[in-house]
Amino acid sequence: MELAQAGLKVLMLEAGAPVDPGTDFRHRLLYQMDYRGRGKPGLLRRYSGSERNYRIMLDNVENPYTTSPDTVYAWGRSRCLGGRTLHWARATDRMADYEFKAASRDGYGMDWAVSYADLAPYYDRVESFIGVSGEALGLPQFPDGPFLPPMALNCAETIFTAACRSLGWPSTHRRLAQLTRAHHGRPPCHYCGNCVNGCDVGAMFNPIAVTIPPALKTGNLEIRTDSVVARVRAGRDGRAQGVTYVERHTMKSVDVDAKYVILAASTLENTRLLLLSEKGGLANSSGTLGHYMMDQVSGGGVSGFLPRLKGGPSRLDDGKAAGITIPNTQNIDARTARKDFIRGYVMNATGGQTEYPQFAAGFPGYGSEWKREIKSRYVAQARVWIAGAEMLARKENFVELDPEVKDHWGIPVLKIHFTHGDNDHKLIEDFQQRAEELFRKAGGEVMPSARRGGPDGFPGAPGAPDAAAPRRALGGSIHECGTARMSVSPKDGVLDSFCRTHDIPNLYVFGGNAFPSTGDKHPTLTMMALSARGCDHLLETAKGRDVRA
Amino acid sequence: MLLSRRDLLDMALRAAAAPGAAAFFSSWLRADGGHQASGFTAPPEPPLLRDHQPAFFDRTDFEALRAFTEILIPTDETPGAREARCAHYIDFVLQASTEAAPDTVRQWREAMAALKEAGFHAADAASRAALVEAMSRPEHDGTATHPAFGAYRLIKQLNAFAFYTSRAGMIDALDYRGGSYYASFPACDHPEHHTI
Repeated sequence: MELAQAGLKVLMLEAGAPVDPGTDFRHRLLYQMDYRGRGKPGLLRRYSGSERNYRIMLDNVENPYTTSPDTVYAWGRSRCLGGRTLHWARATDRMADYEFKAASRDGYGMDWAVSYADLAPYYDRVESFIGVSGEALGLPQFPDGPFLPPMALNCAETIFTAACRSLGWPSTHRRLAQLTRAHHGRPPCHYCGNCVNGCDVGAMFNPIAVTIPPALKTGNLEIRTDSVVARVRAGRDGRAQGVTYVERHTMKSVDVDAKYVILAASTLENTRLLLLSEKGGLANSSGTLGHYMMDQVSGGGVSGFLPRLKGGPSRLDDGKAAGITIPNTQNIDARTARKDFIRGYVMNATGGQTEYPQFAAGFPGYGSEWKREIKSRYVAQARVWIAGAEMLARKENFVELDPEVKDHWGIPVLKIHFTHGDNDHKLIEDFQQRAEELFRKAGGEVMPSARRGGPDGFPGAPGAPDAAAPRRALGGSIHECGTARMSVSPKDGVLDSFCRTHDIPNLYVFGGNAFPSTGDKHPTLTMMALSARGCDHLLETAKGRDVRA
Repeated sequence: MLLSRRDLLDMALRAAAAPGAAAFFSSWLRADGGHQASGFTAPPEPPLLRDHQPAFFDRTDFEALRAFTEILIPTDETPGAREARCAHYIDFVLQASTEAAPDTVRQWREAMAALKEAGFHAADAASRAALVEAMSRPEHDGTATHPAFGAYRLIKQLNAFAFYTSRAGMIDALDYRGGSYYASFPACDHPEHHTI
């Protein structure tokens, strides 16, 4: 948007289909779908997501990837205009200086090539434009922004907030790119709880509602959907000439030239394109391209009930699809340093009624008494989960091109090598203890047998014996980062602090690629801030000004 | 507070006054035009199950399954498996599973055979209730066993899903409030929840 508004002619190539919120996004209750959200048995082996949103996900048959034998990693992807922002969790937290400088503090890995002070103006700009609801806390490890009013807390969240206060832990409303009042021509959230299936009114941030319309209005943006980019073409002058893409339906190969090339196809797809563009990888003089893959660690969590809420009336508890956030309080400085692990994590908690009472199928009993107990507990459900836990960057976690497997268009796919280390496990163990501590403080009744995923016994559902998705020992959070990290020296990474490749001066990579470490915040806002900063740099460069990283 | 259609239009017109928003809003206004829930009146259930003819289960198995589901989730002060047509839904899903989920199909065939073996098919209503009670005992008593406990658990799981995702279960029994338009999110209004 910023490039088009600045007068540059921009061609956007999207591998997937266009999306129209008017026809593609609508409220549908489970009983309005033949398979109640789970899809026809077998459908969700081919597609990610659910019966509601698989059309804005990805066709796994057309877009395979492979993994090494010891890898347990489910790569969540979307291929459509807007991509994963159409169904993201909207969590919009700034990273803090202690995360950018973690290596200086604990000696592990590499500091970022930017500081919080470098990014703060871009956080401000992005948040002001997209609209973020939240509450200012004044905590240095959880920096504030220009927030819209926060969403109200439901009963369970109010109880968890009181429990946090009692434990001496900070907590706040989840900071979300979800409007609580009209903002730049967009309406506020209407609390349908349908966020992950695509917002029908554009109250949550996604490009098709927020950034693409003003960019199109300039007349400087052309969008070509169904255009699968196959590689970046580099010239003998050491600059990127343009890209080659394949028309998704006709299979026709098309070359386009450009003064600047920006890869913004999501983290691992960006890296795949660099690997596809030159033997050994384009812009890979450092030898680090593909390496240091990370994804914030997930796993564990506590589900159960808050007895104080049992038997209460039904309320719109899940209408905002949010909760409270409990910022990290460990390993921030010398005073909070832990001896048994480094880095930290952010927790979330919520509760109350949900669309489907997942616990019912496994709850002992039957008959009218059982029904009454389900109804009583339905409004008292509660859970604590991990929002972001820092996974340490390790060189041995990497992606490469699979030498044998190709996608539907004949383009080699990624092979992922990804395992968790000892620190990752210790972090999750610590989270589990604290989650249970919080639950107990809130008076919660823990449900030991709680399982994630779909209802037991539904054919083809996640969690069922025939589910296609691999089970994850420690999960990823769909926050994949790294593989083209930023560095001060070209010897240490692929990108500079503006997300421009060290080797090719007109090639930028926007996404999570630049992250030398994951931090404990959701990464999307930082990706957006880095992109805005990179666009500023590109514009300055286009004017002939040499801005140093 | 519910948002009326008029509120939505007013909101859209105010917001759409901003530059560049008109095209976007025309899109979501169309979305609101025909098929959106706009209040507590939840949309009706599609006729899928009303018209469904059991085909996965034969007549005797289906009759036994229907009776079993109605014991598990009876009709009382709120609708039960009968009104939700849970047995029909289970049959519908399993019909669609034949190729995609053969293991599940096999489990269900074995479960119905176990139910028949336990005498459920031939039993009268009172005996069926006693049989279900016996089959369910391992849920509460770790020392108890029953050869049809696996069948009980399998039916219970999909029956619970079928019921609580039906209109009868989700709206009539649980009073689910989501999936609609509201002007604000209802804050906790219980002072006692602010303390531990």
